Amino acid sequence: MNGRNDENLKELFEKFLNSEQAERAADDIQKAEQILSDNPAPLPDDILLADIKTEIAGALVRSKINVFRRRVYRTAAVAAAVIILAVISVKVFEKGGDEPQRVITASMIPAAIWESGDFTEDDAEIAMLAAEIEQIESEMLALRLGEDGGNGDIAVTELEMELIETNSDFWKG
Amino acid sequence: MAESDDLAQVITGCKRGDDECFSRLVDEYAGRCYGYFCRLTGDRSVSDDLLSELFVKLVEKIGSYKGGRFESWLFKVASNIFHDWLRDKQRRRRLLELQKDKIESETTGTKRSDSEKVDNLQRQLGKLDADTRELIMLRFYSQVSFKEMAEMRSEPIGTTLSKLHRGLKKLRELME
Repeated sequence: MNGRNDENLKELFEKFLNSEQAERAADDIQKAEQILSDNPAPLPDDILLADIKTEIAGALVRSKINVFRRRVYRTAAVAAAVIILAVISVKVFEKGGDEPQRVITASMIPAAIWESGDFTEDDAEIAMLAAEIEQIESEMLALRLGEDGGNGDIAVTELEMELIETNSDFWKG
Repeated sequence: MAESDDLAQVITGCKRGDDECFSRLVDEYAGRCYGYFCRLTGDRSVSDDLLSELFVKLVEKIGSYKGGRFESWLFKVASNIFHDWLRDKQRRRRLLELQKDKIESETTGTKRSDSEKVDNLQRQLGKLDADTRELIMLRFYSQVSFKEMAEMRSEPIGTTLSKLHRGLKKLRELME
Protein backbone atom coordinates (compact mmCIF):
# COMPACT_ATOMS: atom_id res chain seq x y z
CA MET A 1 0.00 0.00 0.00
CA ASN A 2 1.41 3.39 -0.94
CA GLY A 3 1.90 6.17 1.56
CA ARG A 4 0.79 9.73 1.14
CA ASN A 5 3.97 10.66 -0.73
CA ASP A 6 2.95 8.40 -3.58
CA GLU A 7 -0.61 9.62 -3.97
CA ASN A 8 -1.75 12.18 -6.45
CA LEU A 9 -4.04 14.52 -4.53
CA LYS A 10 -5.42 16.23 -7.62
CA GLU A 11 -6.38 12.90 -9.17
CA LEU A 12 -8.01 11.88 -5.92
CA PHE A 13 -10.08 15.06 -5.67
CA GLU A 14 -11.06 14.80 -9.33
CA LYS A 15 -13.18 11.78 -8.40
CA PHE A 16 -15.45 14.11 -6.45
CA LEU A 17 -14.82 17.62 -7.87
CA ASN A 18 -14.22 19.15 -11.26
CA SER A 19 -10.64 19.64 -12.42
CA GLU A 20 -10.35 23.26 -11.32
CA GLN A 21 -11.84 22.62 -7.85
CA ALA A 22 -9.70 19.53 -7.45
CA GLU A 23 -6.54 21.48 -8.20
CA ARG A 24 -7.52 24.13 -5.67
CA ALA A 25 -8.36 21.56 -2.99
CA ALA A 26 -5.05 19.77 -3.49
CA ASP A 27 -3.27 23.12 -3.28
CA ASP A 28 -5.13 23.97 -0.03
CA ILE A 29 -4.02 20.72 1.54
CA GLN A 30 -0.39 21.09 0.48
CA LYS A 31 -0.18 24.66 1.77
CA ALA A 32 -1.83 23.79 5.09
CA GLU A 33 0.45 20.83 5.55
CA GLN A 34 3.39 23.11 4.89
CA ILE A 35 2.23 25.17 7.89
CA LEU A 36 2.39 22.02 10.00
CA SER A 37 5.90 21.29 8.72
CA ASP A 38 6.98 24.86 9.50
CA ASN A 39 5.70 24.54 13.08
CA PRO A 40 7.13 21.27 14.28
CA ALA A 41 5.85 19.72 17.46
CA PRO A 42 8.35 19.28 20.30
CA LEU A 43 10.45 16.12 20.22
CA PRO A 44 10.60 13.64 23.07
CA ASP A 45 13.70 14.12 25.16
CA ASP A 46 16.44 11.51 25.36
CA ILE A 47 15.67 10.67 28.99
CA LEU A 48 12.08 9.83 28.06
CA LEU A 49 13.27 7.60 25.21
CA ALA A 50 15.75 5.85 27.50
CA ASP A 51 12.97 5.33 30.06
CA ILE A 52 10.69 3.90 27.40
CA LYS A 53 13.39 1.46 26.28
CA THR A 54 13.91 0.38 29.88
CA GLU A 55 10.16 -0.08 30.30
CA ILE A 56 10.04 -2.15 27.12
CA ALA A 57 12.87 -4.37 28.40
CA GLY A 58 10.92 -4.88 31.65
CA ALA A 59 7.70 -5.60 29.76
CA LEU A 60 9.54 -8.15 27.60
CA VAL A 61 10.88 -9.93 30.67
CA ARG A 62 7.39 -9.97 32.22
CA SER A 63 5.95 -11.20 28.96
CA LYS A 64 8.51 -14.05 28.76
CA ILE A 65 7.80 -15.01 32.37
CA ASN A 66 4.09 -15.02 31.60
CA VAL A 67 4.65 -17.21 28.54
CA PHE A 68 6.73 -19.60 30.69
CA ARG A 69 4.04 -19.61 33.40
CA ARG A 70 1.32 -20.29 30.85
CA ARG A 71 3.34 -23.24 29.52
CA VAL A 72 3.88 -24.58 33.03
CA TYR A 73 0.18 -24.22 33.86
CA ARG A 74 -0.82 -25.87 30.59
CA THR A 75 1.62 -28.75 31.15
CA ALA A 76 0.40 -29.14 34.74
CA ALA A 77 -3.21 -29.15 33.57
CA VAL A 78 -2.46 -31.78 30.93
CA ALA A 79 -0.52 -33.89 33.45
CA ALA A 80 -3.38 -33.62 35.96
CA ALA A 81 -5.88 -34.64 33.29
CA VAL A 82 -3.73 -37.64 32.33
CA ILE A 83 -3.37 -38.69 35.98
CA ILE A 84 -7.12 -38.35 36.59
CA LEU A 85 -7.87 -40.36 33.46
CA ALA A 86 -5.37 -43.02 34.50
CA VAL A 87 -6.88 -43.26 38.00
CA ILE A 88 -10.40 -43.48 36.58
CA SER A 89 -9.30 -46.15 34.07
CA VAL A 90 -7.62 -48.22 36.79
CA LYS A 91 -10.75 -48.00 38.96
CA VAL A 92 -12.96 -49.01 36.07
CA PHE A 93 -10.72 -52.02 35.29
CA GLU A 94 -10.58 -53.00 38.94
CA LYS A 95 -14.37 -52.95 39.13
CA GLY A 96 -14.45 -55.21 36.10
CA GLY A 97 -12.10 -57.68 37.93
CA ASP A 98 -14.28 -57.75 41.04
CA GLU A 99 -17.30 -58.92 39.13
CA PRO A 100 -18.05 -62.56 40.13
CA GLN A 101 -17.39 -64.91 37.29
CA ARG A 102 -20.20 -67.15 36.25
CA VAL A 103 -19.23 -70.69 37.10
CA ILE A 104 -20.59 -73.30 34.77
CA THR A 105 -20.64 -76.70 36.31
CA ALA A 106 -21.86 -79.98 34.95
CA SER A 107 -23.24 -82.69 37.06
CA MET A 108 -21.36 -85.97 37.04
CA ILE A 109 -24.60 -87.83 37.64
CA PRO A 110 -26.71 -88.57 34.55
CA ALA A 111 -29.88 -86.55 34.26
CA ALA A 112 -32.05 -89.70 34.17
CA ILE A 113 -30.82 -90.74 37.62
CA TRP A 114 -30.85 -87.18 38.93
CA GLU A 115 -34.43 -86.62 37.88
CA SER A 116 -35.63 -90.07 38.77
CA GLY A 117 -37.82 -90.55 41.84
CA ASP A 118 -37.13 -94.32 42.10
CA PHE A 119 -34.35 -94.50 44.66
CA THR A 120 -34.31 -98.31 44.97
CA GLU A 121 -33.73 -98.88 41.24
CA ASP A 122 -31.16 -96.08 41.07
CA ASP A 123 -29.26 -97.53 44.04
CA ALA A 124 -29.24 -101.00 42.46
CA GLU A 125 -27.80 -99.60 39.22
CA ILE A 126 -25.16 -97.69 41.13
CA ALA A 127 -24.33 -100.83 43.13
CA MET A 128 -24.02 -102.81 39.90
CA LEU A 129 -21.80 -100.17 38.35
CA ALA A 130 -19.61 -100.05 41.41
CA ALA A 131 -19.28 -103.89 41.35
CA GLU A 132 -18.34 -103.86 37.66
CA ILE A 133 -15.80 -101.11 38.19
CA GLU A 134 -14.30 -103.06 41.07
CA GLN A 135 -14.11 -106.15 38.92
CA ILE A 136 -12.44 -104.26 36.08
CA GLU A 137 -10.00 -102.73 38.54
CA SER A 138 -9.02 -106.15 39.86
CA GLU A 139 -8.62 -107.46 36.28
CA MET A 140 -6.44 -104.46 35.40
CA LEU A 141 -4.36 -105.09 38.44
CA ALA A 142 -3.99 -108.78 37.51
CA LEU A 143 -2.95 -107.82 33.97
CA ARG A 144 -0.33 -105.43 35.29
CA LEU A 145 1.02 -108.14 37.51
CA GLY A 146 1.08 -110.63 34.52
CA GLU A 147 -1.42 -113.09 36.03
CA ASP A 148 -3.53 -113.64 32.89
CA GLY A 149 -1.59 -116.41 31.19
CA GLY A 150 0.26 -114.63 28.35
CA ASN A 151 -2.28 -112.97 25.96
CA GLY A 152 -2.10 -109.65 27.83
CA ASP A 153 -2.74 -107.34 24.81
CA ILE A 154 -6.04 -108.97 23.81
CA ALA A 155 -7.18 -109.11 27.37
CA VAL A 156 -6.42 -105.41 27.86
CA THR A 157 -8.32 -104.49 24.70
CA GLU A 158 -11.28 -106.58 25.78
CA LEU A 159 -11.18 -105.01 29.15
CA GLU A 160 -11.08 -101.52 27.74
CA MET A 161 -14.02 -102.35 25.49
CA GLU A 162 -15.91 -103.64 28.47
CA LEU A 163 -15.11 -100.54 30.43
CA ILE A 164 -16.31 -98.23 27.66
CA GLU A 165 -19.49 -100.25 27.26
CA THR A 166 -20.21 -100.21 30.96
CA ASN A 167 -19.54 -96.54 31.16
CA SER A 168 -21.78 -95.58 28.26
CA ASP A 169 -24.58 -97.85 29.50
CA PHE A 170 -24.42 -96.24 32.86
CA TRP A 171 -24.41 -92.64 31.60
CA LYS A 172 -27.26 -93.39 29.27
CA GLY A 173 -29.23 -94.28 32.41
CA MET B 1 14.36 2.43 8.39
CA ALA B 2 12.92 3.51 5.10
CA GLU B 3 13.46 0.13 3.48
CA SER B 4 10.42 -2.05 3.94
CA ASP B 5 12.59 -5.19 4.14
CA ASP B 6 14.52 -3.64 7.00
CA LEU B 7 11.29 -2.71 8.78
CA ALA B 8 9.95 -6.22 8.22
CA GLN B 9 13.08 -7.66 9.84
CA VAL B 10 12.74 -5.31 12.80
CA ILE B 11 9.08 -6.26 13.26
CA THR B 12 9.95 -9.95 13.04
CA GLY B 13 12.59 -9.36 15.73
CA CYS B 14 10.01 -7.55 17.87
CA LYS B 15 7.63 -10.48 17.53
CA ARG B 16 10.44 -12.75 18.78
CA GLY B 17 10.83 -10.46 21.80
CA ASP B 18 14.13 -8.88 20.80
CA ASP B 19 14.48 -5.64 22.81
CA GLU B 20 17.07 -4.29 20.37
CA CYS B 21 14.43 -4.36 17.62
CA PHE B 22 11.98 -2.55 19.88
CA SER B 23 14.63 0.09 20.52
CA ARG B 24 14.93 0.60 16.79
CA LEU B 25 11.16 1.05 16.52
CA VAL B 26 11.31 3.63 19.31
CA ASP B 27 14.12 5.51 17.57
CA GLU B 28 12.23 5.48 14.28
CA TYR B 29 8.71 6.35 15.38
CA ALA B 30 8.91 8.07 18.78
CA GLY B 31 9.26 11.57 17.24
CA ARG B 32 6.20 11.28 15.03
CA CYS B 33 4.07 9.62 17.68
CA TYR B 34 5.14 12.20 20.24
CA GLY B 35 4.23 15.02 17.84
CA TYR B 36 0.83 13.40 17.28
CA PHE B 37 0.16 13.19 21.03
CA CYS B 38 1.53 16.67 21.72
CA ARG B 39 -0.61 18.35 19.09
CA LEU B 40 -3.72 16.51 20.24
CA THR B 41 -3.30 16.92 23.99
CA GLY B 42 -1.35 20.18 24.04
CA ASP B 43 0.50 18.86 27.05
CA ARG B 44 4.05 17.49 27.03
CA SER B 45 3.71 15.69 30.31
CA VAL B 46 0.62 13.83 29.12
CA SER B 47 2.36 13.13 25.81
CA ASP B 48 5.29 11.60 27.69
CA ASP B 49 2.90 9.21 29.42
CA LEU B 50 0.99 8.37 26.27
CA LEU B 51 4.19 7.73 24.32
CA SER B 52 5.43 5.35 27.02
CA GLU B 53 2.07 3.63 27.10
CA LEU B 54 2.10 3.26 23.33
CA PHE B 55 5.47 1.53 23.15
CA VAL B 56 4.85 -0.69 26.16
CA LYS B 57 1.53 -1.66 24.58
CA LEU B 58 3.38 -2.53 21.38
CA VAL B 59 5.21 -5.29 23.29
CA GLU B 60 1.93 -7.11 23.91
CA LYS B 61 0.21 -6.07 20.66
CA ILE B 62 2.97 -6.60 18.10
CA GLY B 63 1.84 -10.20 17.61
CA SER B 64 -1.49 -8.94 16.27
CA TYR B 65 0.20 -6.98 13.47
CA LYS B 66 -0.48 -9.16 10.43
CA GLY B 67 1.11 -7.10 7.68
CA GLY B 68 -0.03 -4.08 5.71
CA ARG B 69 1.38 -0.63 6.25
CA PHE B 70 3.00 -0.54 9.68
CA GLU B 71 2.33 3.18 10.18
CA SER B 72 -1.42 2.60 9.74
CA TRP B 73 -1.38 -0.07 12.40
CA LEU B 74 0.89 1.90 14.76
CA PHE B 75 -1.20 5.08 14.56
CA LYS B 76 -4.39 3.10 15.00
CA VAL B 77 -2.96 1.87 18.33
CA ALA B 78 -1.84 5.44 19.12
CA SER B 79 -5.30 6.75 18.28
CA ASN B 80 -6.92 4.21 20.61
CA ILE B 81 -4.57 5.23 23.41
CA PHE B 82 -5.40 8.89 22.81
CA HIS B 83 -9.14 8.16 22.91
CA ASP B 84 -8.77 6.18 26.13
CA TRP B 85 -6.96 9.14 27.66
CA LEU B 86 -9.65 11.51 26.37
CA ARG B 87 -12.42 9.43 27.93
CA ASP B 88 -10.51 9.28 31.19
CA LYS B 89 -9.96 13.04 31.09
CA GLN B 90 -13.65 13.68 30.52
CA ARG B 91 -14.52 11.43 33.43
CA ARG B 92 -12.04 13.25 35.64
CA ARG B 93 -13.40 16.59 34.48
CA ARG B 94 -16.87 15.54 35.55
CA LEU B 95 -15.47 14.58 38.93
CA LEU B 96 -13.62 17.89 39.13
CA GLU B 97 -16.79 19.81 38.41
CA LEU B 98 -18.32 18.21 41.46
CA GLN B 99 -15.50 19.58 43.57
CA LYS B 100 -15.01 22.79 41.65
CA ASP B 101 -14.62 25.16 44.58
CA LYS B 102 -12.11 22.96 46.25
CA ILE B 103 -9.67 22.74 43.37
CA GLU B 104 -10.36 25.93 41.41
CA SER B 105 -7.04 27.53 42.23
CA GLU B 106 -5.16 24.39 41.23
CA THR B 107 -6.75 24.10 37.76
CA THR B 108 -6.27 27.81 37.03
CA GLY B 109 -2.60 27.40 37.80
CA THR B 110 -2.34 24.45 35.42
CA LYS B 111 -4.08 26.29 32.64
CA ARG B 112 -1.73 29.19 32.95
CA SER B 113 1.39 27.08 32.83
CA ASP B 114 0.07 25.14 29.82
CA SER B 115 -0.81 28.27 27.90
CA GLU B 116 2.69 29.56 28.42
CA LYS B 117 4.11 26.55 26.67
CA VAL B 118 1.87 26.24 23.62
CA ASP B 119 2.81 27.77 20.29
CA ASN B 120 0.52 29.57 17.88
CA LEU B 121 -0.25 26.43 15.89
CA GLN B 122 -1.33 24.65 19.06
CA ARG B 123 -3.65 27.51 19.93
CA GLN B 124 -5.22 27.53 16.47
CA LEU B 125 -5.56 23.76 16.47
CA GLY B 126 -7.50 24.13 19.69
CA LYS B 127 -10.11 26.11 17.78
CA LEU B 128 -10.89 23.19 15.51
CA ASP B 129 -13.28 20.49 16.54
CA ALA B 130 -11.70 17.40 18.09
CA ASP B 131 -12.44 15.06 15.18
CA THR B 132 -10.97 17.40 12.55
CA ARG B 133 -7.95 18.07 14.72
CA GLU B 134 -7.32 14.36 15.09
CA LEU B 135 -7.79 13.78 11.38
CA ILE B 136 -5.23 16.45 10.51
CA MET B 137 -2.71 15.08 13.01
CA LEU B 138 -3.25 11.53 11.86
CA ARG B 139 -2.65 12.54 8.27
CA PHE B 140 0.43 14.62 9.08
CA TYR B 141 2.21 12.31 11.54
CA SER B 142 1.25 8.87 10.31
CA GLN B 143 1.99 9.84 6.69
CA VAL B 144 -0.54 7.36 5.43
CA SER B 145 -2.57 7.91 2.28
CA PHE B 146 -6.19 9.09 2.24
CA LYS B 147 -7.29 5.61 1.27
CA GLU B 148 -5.57 4.13 4.32
CA MET B 149 -6.91 6.87 6.56
CA ALA B 150 -10.42 6.19 5.36
CA GLU B 151 -9.91 2.50 6.12
CA MET B 152 -8.53 3.29 9.57
CA ARG B 153 -11.54 5.46 10.36
CA SER B 154 -14.00 3.09 8.70
CA GLU B 155 -15.52 5.83 6.56
CA PRO B 156 -15.74 6.50 2.80
CA ILE B 157 -12.68 8.14 1.26
CA GLY B 158 -14.82 11.08 0.05
CA THR B 159 -15.80 11.85 3.67
CA THR B 160 -12.18 11.76 4.84
CA LEU B 161 -11.06 13.98 1.95
CA SER B 162 -13.82 16.48 2.53
CA LYS B 163 -13.31 16.70 6.33
CA LEU B 164 -9.58 17.08 6.01
CA HIS B 165 -9.80 19.66 3.25
CA ARG B 166 -12.22 21.78 5.28
CA GLY B 167 -10.15 21.40 8.42
CA LEU B 168 -6.85 22.29 6.83
CA LYS B 169 -8.40 25.22 4.98
CA LYS B 170 -9.75 26.55 8.26
CA LEU B 171 -6.43 26.03 10.00
CA ARG B 172 -4.67 27.89 7.23
CA GLU B 173 -7.08 30.81 7.62
CA LEU B 174 -6.57 30.83 11.36
CA MET B 175 -2.83 30.85 11.00
CA GLU B 176 -2.77 33.74 8.54
